Amino acid sequence: MSREFHPLVKQLLDGERTLSSLPPELQAEAEEAVRLLGAMDRRDVTFSSGLEARVMQEVRQHAAARRVRANTDPVLWRWLTAPSVPPWVVGAVAAAAIIALVIWRPGSANDPVAVAPATAVAPESVFVKFILFAAAAKRVTLAGTFNRWDAGATPLARAGDEGVWTVTLGLPVGQHQYAFVVDGQRWVVDPAAPTVDDGFGRKNSVVSVSLGLGRVM
Amino acid sequence: MERTAVGPPDGVIVQAVLSGDVEQYAVLVRRYQDRYARYATRMLGSVDAAEDAVQDALVRAYDQLARCRDPNNFAGWFFLILRNRCFAERRRDQRFAALDGVPDVPAEENTEASLERSERGRGIERALQTLTPEQREVFVLKHMEELSYEEIAGRVGTTVAALKMRMHRAYDRLRELLEEMQ
Amino acid sequence: MTRPASLLALAMLLAPHLAGQGRADARLAGRVPASLAAAVTALLDSAALHGLPGAPLVDKALEGVAKGAPTDRILVAVRTVFDQLDAVATVLAETGNAGADAVEAGSFAMAAGLTTSDIGEIARTADRSHPAATALLVAGTLAALGVPRAETVALVRATIRSGRPVGDLVSLPGQVQAAMAGGSPPAAAAAGLARAAEAHLAPGPRGRGRGQGNPHKP
Repeated sequence: MSREFHPLVKQLLDGERTLSSLPPELQAEAEEAVRLLGAMDRRDVTFSSGLEARVMQEVRQHAAARRVRANTDPVLWRWLTAPSVPPWVVGAVAAAAIIALVIWRPGSANDPVAVAPATAVAPESVFVKFILFAAAAKRVTLAGTFNRWDAGATPLARAGDEGVWTVTLGLPVGQHQYAFVVDGQRWVVDPAAPTVDDGFGRKNSVVSVSLGLGRVM
Repeated sequence: MERTAVGPPDGVIVQAVLSGDVEQYAVLVRRYQDRYARYATRMLGSVDAAEDAVQDALVRAYDQLARCRDPNNFAGWFFLILRNRCFAERRRDQRFAALDGVPDVPAEENTEASLERSERGRGIERALQTLTPEQREVFVLKHMEELSYEEIAGRVGTTVAALKMRMHRAYDRLRELLEEMQ
Repeated sequence: MTRPASLLALAMLLAPHLAGQGRADARLAGRVPASLAAAVTALLDSAALHGLPGAPLVDKALEGVAKGAPTDRILVAVRTVFDQLDAVATVLAETGNAGADAVEAGSFAMAAGLTTSDIGEIARTADRSHPAATALLVAGTLAALGVPRAETVALVRATIRSGRPVGDLVSLPGQVQAAMAGGSPPAAAAAGLARAAEAHLAPGPRGRGRGQGNPHKP
């Protein structure tokens, strides 16, 4: 049967309490624990003197191989290895180059909330209209991945007196998660959209946008 | 051996290397090759394995130098690469690692008390190698490298609560293993 | 080397962390607490090392703060996203589809309930006309609508194999939702569409299916 240290002794080991603060019945256990830690070998470790030479030999080989590749396509290689280019930008640009060949057309007529875009915000964007019915609300905003979850950045406009709130945004290609924020406090999913768990005990609504094909959902 | 960095800041060296001056990388190698030697040795249970891991991690750090987001903190970034390497090594080899790297007590310290500490120390080393990599890491970083839970959490990207849970399991496991060895 | 010197070296190493300055990613600065920013930035560094997209990690941290979640819970959620991206990147690398857009789409599909095995199956079916990123986006959306995993994978794969244009693949969630509005459960709606796609695949009498047949063959 395993013997566990008392929680107070563990706090002692963590440095969150002193030996003298422990009750008398735990003193022996605490001293055992302290002896355990005290016996640890904390001496430094130094590696062999040849480590630097071995590392630099490999590094020089890799550098030489890199120069060969760069000579094959110097412009592309420099751009791809430039420190300021995050790796995901490379993938996104490559994807956009392929998708740009797809012919643009408006969203499906069966989708009641899609808006046929007259002009796009950017070549890789699609206009999407968000609608929420909230008759009693005084203020409705939209927060999501497209506005860095800023609950104050994207207010909806109230249309008429029926309690319908709307906003139209140009969204970049990809999938976006969002929710409506009612009166600055209540996070509400879009009843017309699919949802996923948000990892905080709630749900997020999802809109997927594909270039040339409009809003997927 | 003095470990405080002398010479240009890491960021300057990194930029020089990225600009094509490969030999400058040796400066970073000399600065950091032993910085995490103790951590890697305790994680892998062997000085030889640790040296291999550090060599491999230093080469990988060169290969991926363009991705270092904060060149002035090359050490922290290199630590992540080494950490990944140590964890990958442990996943590949789940068997108990030999303690070929634990140095003996120097002759002038060979008192009875120090021999007893040494024996207990070897026992702890053996027990450490049977912990999970996550448990062993938090134990080494807190009790050997003397970092706080908050510092460790910021370094490895987890919560203080998760670290404490791992640590407390490590304490119990160590106690259990040491009692079995007696 | 003496311990004081070692501790000094470590303190210097961690000085940026201790001060909480100059170490947090710019997208987090001013929006999240310093301790959370430091931990998420460490994960961003790990993501960069693994070639994983970092934007989903930043998004999840900002979302958690916006929703008032405790710091520990936010970090767990960000860590979950990291683990999903890592798992998806691993399986996609095996299928040759490990671009950042495919990894993000796969991570979304996983958040919607698909497994890495499902994602691998879909990615292996993807082709030049039906990229993995698009297929995974559609699959994730179907799953988010409530279509069970098996029916989701079957429908996406059947549609790709049928050779229909990518627009047909992308319109699947809308078609499923329309069927659901008509009273059909998600699984049945998806299964019906999959059968239709498979029928398009199956060789039939001359003049039907994908090929026209050989007019000279008796």
